[in-house]
Amino acid sequence: MTTILLVEDDPWLAELEADVLTQAGFVVVHSPHAPSAIAQIDETQPDIIILDVLLTGSTAFTLLHELQSYGDTKQIPIILCTNMAENLELENLRHYGVRRIIDKMTMQPDDLPAAVRKLLL
Amino acid sequence: MNKSEGFGLGFSEKAIDAYEVSSLTAAAHELKSPIALMRQLALRLDAGDVSPQQRRLIQQITLTSERALRLTSDLTRSARLEDALFELEPINPEQLCRDIATELAPLFEAHGRSLAVSHRAHPLLLVANRDLLRRILTNFSDNALHYSQPGTAVHMQIQAFTKTGTVRVGIRDFGPALSSDMWRALRKKLKHAPQAVHARPQSSGLGLFIASQFAEAMDGTIGATRHRDGATFYVELQASRQLSLL
Repeated sequence: MTTILLVEDDPWLAELEADVLTQAGFVVVHSPHAPSAIAQIDETQPDIIILDVLLTGSTAFTLLHELQSYGDTKQIPIILCTNMAENLELENLRHYGVRRIIDKMTMQPDDLPAAVRKLLL
Repeated sequence: MNKSEGFGLGFSEKAIDAYEVSSLTAAAHELKSPIALMRQLALRLDAGDVSPQQRRLIQQITLTSERALRLTSDLTRSARLEDALFELEPINPEQLCRDIATELAPLFEAHGRSLAVSHRAHPLLLVANRDLLRRILTNFSDNALHYSQPGTAVHMQIQAFTKTGTVRVGIRDFGPALSSDMWRALRKKLKHAPQAVHARPQSSGLGLFIASQFAEAMDGTIGATRHRDGATFYVELQASRQLSLL
């Protein structure tokens, strides 16, 4: 069973995304901010991380740096799900483990499960 | 800090403008999250079992959210104009207009209107940044939608001006005519763009202000033509030299 760590500080959006992913057959654990995400990663060892960029407190980039510091966590593929997609270039973020960028402003409900499935292929 | 405190501390008017623009941009960025969430909630609702009337309301929420997101995105984009280099390339405006018409078709349909692209036998090319030109034309189309009469088609038209070596892409709506006073004010302000332009009644002119900034970043201009039954808002850009090869 694929476990996804969803890092999203908006509780309603997190609930919505977790619901869609759960219905698609994935196990979802949620963290509202970077420090709790670190704890969840140690505890659950997720297969994939879905990460918002502008989080309460530390941003996603702090978390990305932290994940790159350890041999095991740097292997976890990351999907950025953000309102800042138009400002980000996937190529510049690949070395942080980012494999996909999803634009929250245009995404459809099925986009998240579809992106996860593609990474699992 | 408010505006008067800013003057008291010796800020120049330009600095105040910069402060206002950055505040506006910050506000736009903050608005993105709740609007994007409303859109997601509406899409989720749409996936459920709802009546046709409820589905129509859900679609209206989705389309309205998408329109608001376009505006916030344009605002944040306009704030980064000075920091960015824009790749200018030869663009077929008719093709771009067709792409925009396809993208906005559900929005126009929901409002009982349509968006048509006037076909040219001989395609024209202009020099522009694809993203900025798309934003300008989408903005004008959004504006035309709200000022055109129900049941009418908004037309996207492309014209070449050989004397000035420019290509004009206009969005023609069919709605209430602008009054002479309003037209004079609009023309005066368009000449002094970029600045906030009160384009139409009940409009802040913010969209037009952003469009003028985007056009200026591509060495282009925006303008408007008044008709007895509506108006045309246009952007004029340099024609591509590849034009002569066609």
